[in-house]
Amino acid sequence: MENTIKIERAILSLTQDDLAKRIGVSRQTINSIEANRYVPSTVLSLKLSNVFGKPVNDFFKLNAED
Amino acid sequence: MNTEKIMNCERKSFQKIIKFRLPHRFMMIGISIVLLSIVGMFVRAFAMEGDSDWLKLLLQKTLLVGMLIMSMSKDKIEDEMTVALRAQSYAIGFVVGVIYALVMPYVEFGVSNLVHSGGENFKNLGDFQVLLFMLMIQLMFYHNLKRYR
Repeated sequence: MENTIKIERAILSLTQDDLAKRIGVSRQTINSIEANRYVPSTVLSLKLSNVFGKPVNDFFKLNAED
Repeated sequence: MNTEKIMNCERKSFQKIIKFRLPHRFMMIGISIVLLSIVGMFVRAFAMEGDSDWLKLLLQKTLLVGMLIMSMSKDKIEDEMTVALRAQSYAIGFVVGVIYALVMPYVEFGVSNLVHSGGENFKNLGDFQVLLFMLMIQLMFYHNLKRYR
């Protein structure tokens, strides 16, 4: 799975730490999600969706391997 | 109470047991118990005389309890990723522990007989050795997985 969280974060001028605090996870978790090393749960994806004000499909995309 | 309510009640209590973790401050308590146990083991081995097998057994138990407390205590920021990494580390610890318990007695027996002919008899590992190894692997893998996440 690929994502554009880094771009969405940049649009809102949020640091990884800001975003992590907003959704109640550690900064390292945000870093791992952005680097596609960790696929978040539905709950966390919906929390991200709330922060970005966009549907989950806008910043998470399936790739050929999925 | 109908069957469905009983099942839901059991499911909830089962989930509670699965999700049970000690607060973060227990990590320091666990580390202190482990360090004190190790110091105690050295003192017993090098500075004490006489029969102190009871102390050896007691210190082995406290060492395991300390490591278990470390293993079960939460991180400063506990999120779904740390939960997933902890689950992975338990799985790795279990598998490696079973392999260790199966293979190590043969390794010890082989090495012992290579070094001096007619060495030790074949004997299985004790519970302390296996549990200590499993807890060590779990803690080591958990911290490594966290570092490289």
